[in-house]
Amino acid sequence: MRTLRIVLALVAASLRAQLQYRMNFVLWMVIGMVYQLTGFFFLWALLARFRAVGGWTLEEIAFLYGLRLLAHALTVVVFGGLQNVDWTVHEGDFDRHLVRPLAPLVIVLTWFRPSSLGDLLGGIALFAAATRLAPVDSSPGAIVYIALAILGGMFIEGGFRLVFAALAFRLQRTNALLGFADGIFSNFGNLPLRIFGGAIEVLLTFVLPVAFVAYIPASVVLGHASELAVQPPVAYLAPLVGGLVFGAAWLLWRHELPLYQSSGH
Amino acid sequence: MSLFAPAMTHLARMDAQTVLTYRVNFGLHLLGRLLQIYLLKVVWTAVYAGQAEVDGVSLATLIAYLTLANLQTWFIYPEAVDVFPNRVRSGAVALDLVRPLGLLPQLIARSLGRTFAVTLLVGASLPIVALVGSLRPPASAEAAGLYLVATVLAYGITLAIGIMLALTSFWTLETSGVGVLFLFVNQFFAGALIPLWFFPDWLRTVAELLPFQTQAFLPLSLYFGRLQGGDALHALGVEVLWFGLLWIAAIVVWRRAIRRVHIQGG
Repeated sequence: MRTLRIVLALVAASLRAQLQYRMNFVLWMVIGMVYQLTGFFFLWALLARFRAVGGWTLEEIAFLYGLRLLAHALTVVVFGGLQNVDWTVHEGDFDRHLVRPLAPLVIVLTWFRPSSLGDLLGGIALFAAATRLAPVDSSPGAIVYIALAILGGMFIEGGFRLVFAALAFRLQRTNALLGFADGIFSNFGNLPLRIFGGAIEVLLTFVLPVAFVAYIPASVVLGHASELAVQPPVAYLAPLVGGLVFGAAWLLWRHELPLYQSSGH
Repeated sequence: MSLFAPAMTHLARMDAQTVLTYRVNFGLHLLGRLLQIYLLKVVWTAVYAGQAEVDGVSLATLIAYLTLANLQTWFIYPEAVDVFPNRVRSGAVALDLVRPLGLLPQLIARSLGRTFAVTLLVGASLPIVALVGSLRPPASAEAAGLYLVATVLAYGITLAIGIMLALTSFWTLETSGVGVLFLFVNQFFAGALIPLWFFPDWLRTVAELLPFQTQAFLPLSLYFGRLQGGDALHALGVEVLWFGLLWIAAIVVWRRAIRRVHIQGG
């Protein structure tokens, strides 16, 4: 209970700090939203002229894109603070997190980026619109499955962010690596991965689990499951992958944290 | 005047050296571009779905077009101007302003130097680019000449736009977000993701009213011989028109900006 109160106080402080520059806050929110939707704008313009990408119609692509955007937005809202870790470690500022009465990871997560709210608005809007237009399975089971899949997607992307934050204790600067992984998720995650063919699809399913964020769950509820590299019984378990990835990342974080050296003091 | 040419050359050489020194940075940019070219190739192959041609454009031509368009919007992008807002924010712009050379000539010299170096490195990496995307020679000698003229004009246009964007940092210090959006708008309306041939009608009308088509679509339409004779001259006319208009605008913005200079942290 006490922990929760401290967390809320820290989140409120972070929000107040950002709201000091109100114009900037709103601007970044809008930029976050527009930036996330630009990729969809490309697919929309493309499919205004051509009917389908790899057998997926515009409405189905919109659903896939919205699903992945929502999971990504939740990732940056909840885990956005992780991208500060490499800089705070590099500068020796991580000291401050260690002397507070909360787990360092929790303190890191209380910082949040204004642009992440824009991501969230964009994700909700596109997902809501696409759900009406696309032929989505709307049985109670499918709805629960999709809700869990969104959380699972958040934990997959969040787990990767946690890995790169944890590696900062050893490697100091890891933001370039994070940016690279984030780029892979953002560029490939919104597309029906079957268009990349065998090797790449397998790579993005089993090595870097991009497929589990949105492509596999979307395929299941849109009736595309038979095209997948992993067949239905496994595909139904997609939401669990998030738990596995995040659990492993958390163990790594705990293992790496003691390696922190307060540099520059 | 006697000072002008050596000063310009010196600045240009400085920025060219910066690019050549940070080759790893260039490599990362190159990887980003290669990834984009690869993604476009896969997506476009999927939408063509086995058709040999759509509207008289073969898939092979399209992929060569997209490859060149993504190289072109990259190496003509005025990166030197991109870092200028940082100099305003830190106050370092004071140094630029006391130099005997005007700020606009300085920015032009730096951009030219940087573009020269980037062009060299892009040239050296063409074999990898060809492997990921696809390359093809111009349709004819005449097409090559028209393309070169159009690309030089395109460079002038993007430099004028870049300078105007950079100068907005005299009014507002927060310009990085706008820069990100500009990159997308520029790429999209330049036709680097979808050539304007395949835009929906209303969107094509919008694209033709904007200056961005001069960045990739028009030069490459000339390169591939899609525009010939009168149409080719018309395309060059459009480039010249935007070049003139945007440079007049850039100079007007500069005259106003100089009166608003605040040096930070002095």
